[in-house]
Amino acid sequence: MKAFLQERKIKFEDFDVSKNKKSAQEMINKSGQMGVPVIDIDGRIIVGFNEGELKKALKLK
Amino acid sequence: MVNEYDLIIIGAGGVGLAGGMYSARLGLKTLILGHSHGSELPIGGVITTTNLVENYPGFTKLTGTEIAEKIEAHTRSYDKVTIKEELVKEIKKSKSEFSVKTEKETYKGKTILFATGTKWRKLEITGSKEFENKGVNYCALCDGPLFKNKIVAVIGGSDSATKDALVLAEHAKKVYIIYRGKEIHPEPINLERVKSNKKIEIINNTNLTQVKGEKFVTSIILDKPYKNSKELKLDGIFVAIGHIVLSDLAKSLGVKTNKAGEIIIDHKTSETNLSGVFAAGDVTDKEFKQLITGVADGCTAAYYAYEYISKKRL
Repeated sequence: MKAFLQERKIKFEDFDVSKNKKSAQEMINKSGQMGVPVIDIDGRIIVGFNEGELKKALKLK
Repeated sequence: MVNEYDLIIIGAGGVGLAGGMYSARLGLKTLILGHSHGSELPIGGVITTTNLVENYPGFTKLTGTEIAEKIEAHTRSYDKVTIKEELVKEIKKSKSEFSVKTEKETYKGKTILFATGTKWRKLEITGSKEFENKGVNYCALCDGPLFKNKIVAVIGGSDSATKDALVLAEHAKKVYIIYRGKEIHPEPINLERVKSNKKIEIINNTNLTQVKGEKFVTSIILDKPYKNSKELKLDGIFVAIGHIVLSDLAKSLGVKTNKAGEIIIDHKTSETNLSGVFAAGDVTDKEFKQLITGVADGCTAAYYAYEYISKKRL
């Protein structure tokens, strides 16, 4: 996931929900579920590493 | 020429990566295709979901991710190896080579190694799908920290299930292990660990019949009472009831599998019923499946792929 974003030079902020309880709760509230990873792209929530969805949300080919 | 390889390895877990490392040592131009068959795991494969690896010689104790990264770095150190994160859609045999089509490209290979591994077997009871990732989870290492100070249960009696319980006990306030059989059957060292962990309670001879909840899981229903109740209040369950082998792609090529769907290989050479097609790791019919045994089989397959190419003068 991180490699996917880094390869395409897309800036992102990384929250480790295993260490940050506040971020963990925010992730659960936003995604309505308890599985990682979760990506928030301008309010669009993507659960899991879904390359197709990521590309759509980031308007990548 | 660009897309032509001596060996194409399908699967980039520890086994595929090790096979690639060895084939490169033998001078074979090698392509490893990861994310290849629906396991949804990163490069490094299933070992990345293991908290502690303590049975790999040379490393007394390290995490699954650490060992996966070491193997990947070792493989990448050889110029002969290319690793691509592409999903394989189709594989076909022509006269003396194989054609592997991904979502992006078509590659030609003189030999093939299936290292596609397995995926988690899903729990199929009332509510288990509805509450997936809402308290019905599969990766204790990934999602366990989200259950800090909560009550959880691991479903299953294997060594993996027991290790999941130990991981979860680091976060949760209470961990049940619920097993349908007479007694859980982990490696003795892990049995000792769970028995001495005060947070862990083992419930043998019991099945789940339902997962209940509202937004998230709030309880499960058992097929027999535990402490006078069939309903057990908890916040989540982690399912560890085994794996399904990912051999459909191999089958589509004509590779023979057993009743469990495992690829049948020659236990000396790792070759399948098809000449030039090899398999290694969790996807095969080998009985003892560990990273160390899979890695060995991956290297064996690479060696016999080299022999195959040399003898045929391909």
